[in-house]
This record gives sequence, structure tokens and C-alpha cells, in this order.
Amino acid sequence: MRVLLRVLAPLLGLALAAAGVLFVIEVVAAWVRPVATAGLVVPWPQWRTTLEQLSWDENPVPGIAIAVAVLGLLLVLVGLLARRSNIQLDAPNPELAVRTSPRVLARLVGTRVRAGEDVAAATVTASARKVSVAAQSWNGGADGLRSSIHDTVEALLDELPLHRRPRVSVTVRDREGVR
Amino acid sequence: MTEQDTVVLTKEAGAPADPAVRRRSRSALARSAARDRSLVVLIGLVLLAAGVLVALLSYGVFGVPRASRPLLDPMIVDALRAQPLAARITAIVVGALLALLGLLWAAGSVRPERRPDLVLEAGAETSIVVSSGAAADAVATEARRLPGVAKARARLVGPATAPALRVTLWLADDADVAQVLRRFDDEVLGTARESLGITTLPVGVLLDLDAPTRAPRVT
Repeated sequence: MRVLLRVLAPLLGLALAAAGVLFVIEVVAAWVRPVATAGLVVPWPQWRTTLEQLSWDENPVPGIAIAVAVLGLLLVLVGLLARRSNIQLDAPNPELAVRTSPRVLARLVGTRVRAGEDVAAATVTASARKVSVAAQSWNGGADGLRSSIHDTVEALLDELPLHRRPRVSVTVRDREGVR
Repeated sequence: MTEQDTVVLTKEAGAPADPAVRRRSRSALARSAARDRSLVVLIGLVLLAAGVLVALLSYGVFGVPRASRPLLDPMIVDALRAQPLAARITAIVVGALLALLGLLWAAGSVRPERRPDLVLEAGAETSIVVSSGAAADAVATEARRLPGVAKARARLVGPATAPALRVTLWLADDADVAQVLRRFDDEVLGTARESLGITTLPVGVLLDLDAPTRAPRVT
């Protein structure tokens, strides 16, 4: 979302500027040559005729209005969702601000969990509030593995100077087959 | 690392600090997108409101007679024609403002981030300035020497009057994060503050992990 915002912002700025320039050009042109029948850059006399003949309840007015509303909603969403989802860490000195990405936390947890003896595979999702681990155990032993993974992750979180300790949730299912 | 270390670290982090320095170190973490975000949300809200209102009008929510009037209402055209000079001047001012604001916004969001130099002493005749690149490179080189740090990158950000340092540390998978941070603060930043002779240097640190080293498939 942040990349999209970085691309969209200058484009929207340029579009606004272009619209403003065209508007000024046409208004000035219409002012200095009142008898002219065509616009200088924009064919606004044709647009005017169309707009005069079209009423609010005719097609395609509602369709365009809905499309504009949807576009506006998308822009609002882009603007609201383009926030940084960084995880705050406690720094040894107040002059320092330390952050990391959820991806890093997920990778740290994943490496630690997969190193466990009975873990066949593990998927980790992490955010500042929650770390979820979905693991697979070899041929039974899912119950014991669940609590052992939970302890492993809690121990890792003890080591990290996280500002806010995320909740840990672990799900384990059995993988059948030859080890 | 032991439990005790974590406790000590948290205590130190809670020590009173100048809120302005804290703010500077927080804003050094990444380029701010606050202006872009608020303008995009504002434009989005305007489009959303206009679209919804026109759709409601079109479906006759505000009355069927109103919905059957033309888009370019003769009533509005007559009102504008009654005051031609005022209408034209308003139109030109609005257009010029739109163009100016749009250009400023576009220029502001594509402009590269500032890299301020560190001014150590600004006298009337002589001034001592450490260039932005030199200061940042020195910190990055020192940081790379810390155990557990695979790569490091640093740059100075912020206005020239209040520079701050942005550092990205790529840690090894087995790095002790708390210890790396402590040593980075003590050894790297301590040395930098001492040698540059500055008391406060807000720093934003981004931690990342180094690319995983894959074990060979055949041994």
C-alpha cells in the first residue's frame, strides 16, 4: 500500500495541476475572445451542449457517479492502509528508536520453531499484537508438541526487547507418513 | 541472554528524555508519508461524497422533479451570467490555486529526502562541517564490526538544523538483538558522539535479517 501511495501521490498532484491549468486557460480564452465557438484546448462547447441535454436521472449519470464513489473509496482505503506496520522494540537509550518489520519477527520465530526435533513443518504469521504458529508434527505427538512450541516461542519473546509482548497462538496437526 | 538483562534494558528505556529528541529519532525511522496520505484520503472523501450525492440525486431520493433537471442547470448558468466578472475571477483564482497546490504536492512527494551535513562549529569566518556521507559511512562501518551484524547502512536525515541518523542493521539469524542494540549504542554511537563532539544525536534503527544462508543440498 505504501508503494501504491508513493506512486499515486505525485500522479494525483500532477492531475490536479493539469486540471487547474486547463481551467484557467479556457476561462481566460473565453474571456478575451467572446465570439469564438470552439475551446482552445478542451472542446467545452460540445460538452456544454451534452450537459444541457442530459438530465440527472438519465444514463450514464448514476453509473458514472457510482464509479466515482468507488474510486473515492479506494483512495480513502489506500490512504488509510498505507501506514507502517512496524514492531517497536525497547532501545537501551531514549535517543534511539528501534523498529523491525513483522516479517523479521516471523522469520525469527519460524527458524526457532523449525529447529525443534518433532516439527515437520511450520508456518508463522506475526504482527505487533499476535504471533501465530501453524505447525505439523510427525506421526502423533501433536498435544505435547503444541505446548513445547508455545514455550519455545515464549522463550524467544523473552530474549527480544519487544515494547509490547505479542500473544502467542499455536496450532498443531499431525502429518502422516515416513519421517 | 538472562531475564535480568531484559529488565535492566526496559528500565533504561523508560528513563526521562527530551520528547523532542524522541520525536526526532522516531521520525528518522522512515520518510514521512503523512502529507501524501492525508491528501489522498481528502481527495478520496471528496470523490466519495460527490459520487454518493449524485447517485442519490439521480435515483430521485431528493425528489423526482429535481432529478429530471439538466446537468448544466439554466438556473445556475443565469446566475453566473448575471455576475460575469466575479464568476470569471473566481474561476481563474480557483484554477490557479488548484494548479499551484497540485504542482507543490507532486514536487514535494518526488523530491529526494534531504541529507543534511553535520555542522559542528559555525563561526563567523570558519565553520567545521562533517559531510552527510562521511558521518553516515563512519557509523555504518563501525556498526558492521559488531558481532551479530551482517550488514549495516546509515544516512543522515531531517532538516539541517536538527539532523538525525537512520540506521538499518541486517542481523545474523543467531544474533542477540538486545546485546547488538546495547553495543551499537555504547560503542558505535558513543564513539560517534564523542568524536563529533555532539551531545544529542537522535537515531532511528531499523532491524532486518540477513538473507538466509541455505545449507547445501548435497554434502
